[in-house]
Amino acid sequence: MASRGATVGPAVRSAGLSVLVLAVLCAVWEAYKWIGERAEIRWPFPVNERTMPHVHDMVGQLFEPSRRNGPLLIDVLLDAAAFTAKEAAVGFVLGASVGFLIAVALSQSRLLQRGFLPYIVASQTVPILAIAPMVVVGLGSKGVTGWVAVAILAAYLTFFPVAINTLRGLQSADPRALELMHSYAASRWTILWRLRVPASLPYVFSALKISATASIVGAIIGEAPSSIQEGLGGAIVNFNQYYSLEPRNLWATNIVAAALGITFFLVVAGAERVVVRRAPENVA
Amino acid sequence: MSTVVQPVPRSFGRTIGRRFRDWLPALVVFVLVLVAWQGLVEVFNIRQFLLPKPTAILGALRDNRSDLWSAGIVTFKEALGGFAMGSTAAILVALVLARWRRVGGAIMPYAIAANAVPIIAFAPITNNWFGLLNPMSKMVIAAVLCFFPVFVNTLRGLTSVEPASIELMRSYAAGEIETFRRVRIPNALPFIFTGLKVASVLAMIGAVVGEYFGGPLDALGVVIQNNVALFDFPLAWAGIIVASAFGIAFYAAVAVAEHFLTGWQPAADSRSD
Repeated sequence: MASRGATVGPAVRSAGLSVLVLAVLCAVWEAYKWIGERAEIRWPFPVNERTMPHVHDMVGQLFEPSRRNGPLLIDVLLDAAAFTAKEAAVGFVLGASVGFLIAVALSQSRLLQRGFLPYIVASQTVPILAIAPMVVVGLGSKGVTGWVAVAILAAYLTFFPVAINTLRGLQSADPRALELMHSYAASRWTILWRLRVPASLPYVFSALKISATASIVGAIIGEAPSSIQEGLGGAIVNFNQYYSLEPRNLWATNIVAAALGITFFLVVAGAERVVVRRAPENVA
Repeated sequence: MSTVVQPVPRSFGRTIGRRFRDWLPALVVFVLVLVAWQGLVEVFNIRQFLLPKPTAILGALRDNRSDLWSAGIVTFKEALGGFAMGSTAAILVALVLARWRRVGGAIMPYAIAANAVPIIAFAPITNNWFGLLNPMSKMVIAAVLCFFPVFVNTLRGLTSVEPASIELMRSYAAGEIETFRRVRIPNALPFIFTGLKVASVLAMIGAVVGEYFGGPLDALGVVIQNNVALFDFPLAWAGIIVASAFGIAFYAAVAVAEHFLTGWQPAADSRSD
């Protein structure tokens, strides 16, 4: 009983704290809006109903019809979020698998590492996201369906952090453990599977958490230039055009996009807690 | 005496040789990829859509170098402004939260989760706040992107201090400010630079991608976007190369600053990311 109370306690407290943090953020927003409208703040931007809608208006907008006699906005946006999540998830799994396999291949050969690692590192300093329009429009012209092209982009964004961190993790195995494996004449495969891969898991997951966000961003940005209407990126472009008429639609869309990004992150963080904690038992 | 000094020049020559041998495979890969790229495009007659020839991209880069350069400067200024605003705010907030640890510890998970918000998707909103043509609209996006890595790393650096150092400061009756100045901030510098290097790249990405949602016609993101729409892919790729060059130069500048400011520090965490 006592142990159960100990595990429930922190969960309840962190949930309560999350609500509190959200409430504080909303209060700051409303306070700035209240003061800004009365003091007629013009810098850095004019504060009014158009630039800063009420928080309850943005959330309330979710439960208004998206158009006359149409479905509720939240239904439209949840469909869009599911579409974007599909693109991001397919890309995430693809990119993470390829990144992991390439890291394993590189970890087996110094020559391959010297040949390719500098580019994998340099590619992190390149605005990969900037090629989004080209990848999507380019693949589209080759007859690739829009959402697949976006998934490939998300995969590309996922690939690099996973490859780099996995390689670092595979090399982080304890040298004494390596010596022990060698003294038992363990094969390359055994060392890889029993020692290096478990050692790499914390590194892999820290990359996966970065990639979870990157894949969502990639999916949203990939949709924008390619006139894919079904996803959140399409919704953002669409509502952006009518911002001066109805700013709350864009805000509501961005709230859903933010929620999707955080959900992806939390799913990976949850998987990390399960997998990384169990890893040592699997080895033993 | 002289025999002790002698190894230095010899090993210096050897390091250059080793350096070259270390980089040789990378060079070979670079040339092979370029040749294969050019060859495949020519042999299979791939249209310019998906992948223009490297020579075509270079040609576009050469023909439009002055336009692309000035577009790069416009975008780089946005990135620089955002980087400065975001990093300054992040370091200040981290300093405050490191002083009041309990608050900092409680806020940390939310900062990390907030980092999972697709911030670039908010570019249309800042465009509406400041106006499409106002560079501030991209700077704010770049600033928010820069904030999180700098904040998280700075706070980690300020708080991961050896307890013995703090005890030593206490035993000298050093005040909180003195402890920050002598122990926490020097300890945090390598961490701060790790965050700043990540932020330098993010700032450039934020500025370019923010411009995809609209911006002045002479900005790099708009130039890239427009040429994609016109199916002028060599010129669009040339724009990407310019964006990458600015991003890498920015990163390198921060790395050089790190080298001078933390040269005395043991390499600590500066290698990661």
